Amino acid sequence: MVTVLLPSTLRTGASDRLEVQEPVATIAELIDVLDRRIPGFGEGLDDSVFNFAVNGEMLLYHARERALTSGDVVEIVPTISGG
Amino acid sequence: MGIRDRVARLVAELPTEPQFPTQGATVFVDLERREVQRGYTPLRVVRTLLAGRGANVFYLHRLLDESLDPLHPDVPLIFGSGVLTGIVPSAARGNATSWSPESGVIMDSNAGDYFPSFIRMNGVDHLVLYGRAGQWTLIHVKEGRLELLDGSPYAGLDNIDLRERIPQDFGGTWTRDLAMVNITRAGENLVLTSAIMAGPKACYARGGPGAKMGALKLKAIVVQGQTRDFETAQPYKGYNRTIAQKLLDTSVVKHALKSTGTPFLYKPSRLLGAMGTKNNQETTWTDRLDADHITPYRPGMAGCFRCPVNCRPLNALNADSADKYGRGDGPEYVTLGKFGPNLGIDRIESVIRLNNICNDLGLDTASTGSALAWAMELFQRGIIARTHTGGIDLAWGDAATVEQLLFMLARREGFGDVLADSTRAVERGHYPPEALKYRMAVKGLMQSDPHDARILKAFALGLAVATRGMDHLRNRVTLEINARINDDPAFKARLYGGPVSAAPTSYEDKERAVRVCEDVYGVGDAVGMCRFTTKLFNSPSLPGLDEFAAQIANVTGLEFSVDELSRVGLNITGVERLLNRRLGVTRAHDTLPDRWFDEPITVGAYKGERIDRAEFDAMLSRFYAISNLTEDGVPTPAWRAELESMLGA
Repeated sequence: MVTVLLPSTLRTGASDRLEVQEPVATIAELIDVLDRRIPGFGEGLDDSVFNFAVNGEMLLYHARERALTSGDVVEIVPTISGG
Repeated sequence: MGIRDRVARLVAELPTEPQFPTQGATVFVDLERREVQRGYTPLRVVRTLLAGRGANVFYLHRLLDESLDPLHPDVPLIFGSGVLTGIVPSAARGNATSWSPESGVIMDSNAGDYFPSFIRMNGVDHLVLYGRAGQWTLIHVKEGRLELLDGSPYAGLDNIDLRERIPQDFGGTWTRDLAMVNITRAGENLVLTSAIMAGPKACYARGGPGAKMGALKLKAIVVQGQTRDFETAQPYKGYNRTIAQKLLDTSVVKHALKSTGTPFLYKPSRLLGAMGTKNNQETTWTDRLDADHITPYRPGMAGCFRCPVNCRPLNALNADSADKYGRGDGPEYVTLGKFGPNLGIDRIESVIRLNNICNDLGLDTASTGSALAWAMELFQRGIIARTHTGGIDLAWGDAATVEQLLFMLARREGFGDVLADSTRAVERGHYPPEALKYRMAVKGLMQSDPHDARILKAFALGLAVATRGMDHLRNRVTLEINARINDDPAFKARLYGGPVSAAPTSYEDKERAVRVCEDVYGVGDAVGMCRFTTKLFNSPSLPGLDEFAAQIANVTGLEFSVDELSRVGLNITGVERLLNRRLGVTRAHDTLPDRWFDEPITVGAYKGERIDRAEFDAMLSRFYAISNLTEDGVPTPAWRAELESMLGA
């Protein structure tokens, strides 16, 4: 199982997380699963503002290829770096 | 040649009429003799540098006498609004330019809120101030007329009290028909981290502009009058609507800036392991300062003149109206970082309160927070002790002591007098020379932002080469932190006009990205556009050179291609580098603090990362090459000749 933490701007309900039971090998596969569960979710994620953090480590490149294992926590992090 | 002769020679050259629709005058104010002269920026300068920051450096180049010192009254303080300021959505900005008393290099700071727009609506694009007034002076601008008034009733007032007095004395309502720039007691006391306030929080912050204005004995510039539309060359409002919609449709605005503001950045920086902590000794800190923890204290958002984004968070810590610092504007990310992890403070309530105090005392939170952190590390290491601090323990995380020190700094009392000298503390004999090893500054300016740049090499290069010193706002390649862009090499190459390595830790081609950002942001400052809503600063989808060119044509009738505008951006930093050369800046100053070369990151996914000196030096040489600079960082002889011909005399 992979737990996905959602920013407030992507939540569709009250919960700030989704749990994905089916095996997903990479971030890319995870996005596909989420998109099937919530149609349009994948398209919404296809935006440069969203990064992924896996177990607290933010991915700056090769993000969708990142391997996942059961128990991982993936956080979707709206990201800006200038202010 | 003294300042009055320089001004007279320059004014004699300037056109006496506007050179294009909407152009406002350049007003020269001799504060000592209480004399006012006017002219207009020549078209050749506008075509090379535009307005705002661009034309400001033209005026500084012509009037600066580098044999003096920065606080000398013959060194002018120049305010300038952008060519689109007050006209285009989110173009509410202007610059304040001079010779920095803090850093010793060019001082060029930027602010929004309402002053830059309202002064333009009074027919003034640039204000050149010089001479030391005989007494504290207030400049009053109304219906295009400018008068010098007795400012002594306002001496000693800090920001909150002054902003309460001015509407009582002059009439008017803030943000409707009244705007002001002013200094506080810190500026009056020539504190080197003092800002020129432009609102409850907005300020011209970097480089000690408050001290510069205080040295002229100028307390405030109050601008009154009804807002108006400008008479433009062609219709422009339709395209304004296009720009506004583009801003509001951009995901970074929707997901972050409009709802939360820049505190949003804290979490990504923390997750990256790039949070400057305890004077950059560490790179991680608590999640209790994430933006979500500010939400309970944020009653709403505010913004600058005619900006649809409204990215400025308001704060309310409590309902006690007697608590002067129980509410205010902000904090921004810089303040959150500089007064949170940078000082070892982990309570959001403390950071918000310190933010409110800094805004009232008129302090640049970047330099002030950095000066405090520097002192704390020196104390930690035993380089200074209680004998230096007047018995005060400089312990990490002690918010109450930090609060006490802020007031002491603004008044230059006790150890506050040391802190008030900022980066010059060694030079002025307060700290021993070994203290410089721990000073997080470049070109004498403390780092602007909390981000540790050992991971992202483009960030590191930007901080090193920025003309005003260690500052991220001049050229930060913010999109280096966006995986979606890094993982699309073709798109990234289109953004920067050529390939840039996907890996943020790589040095490869990062100079290309910094060059493009420096050009675009320079033009942004010259048109008056907010950095947060300019393409490449946090989004590839925001308005950029294409939109600027289109609206410059509509508003002024002046046509610029995108390439020509890009050249304007390069010209602005070219002139700034010529100015800096006059002030003694060489290639050796385009560098980074030793800590980032010598100390690797110790934790997290980027453990071991640092800046390699040889790689950095090679990257710097490549940056100079694509920037038409010599190996010593100044415009090549042919380019220099072009610029100096345009600048005149």
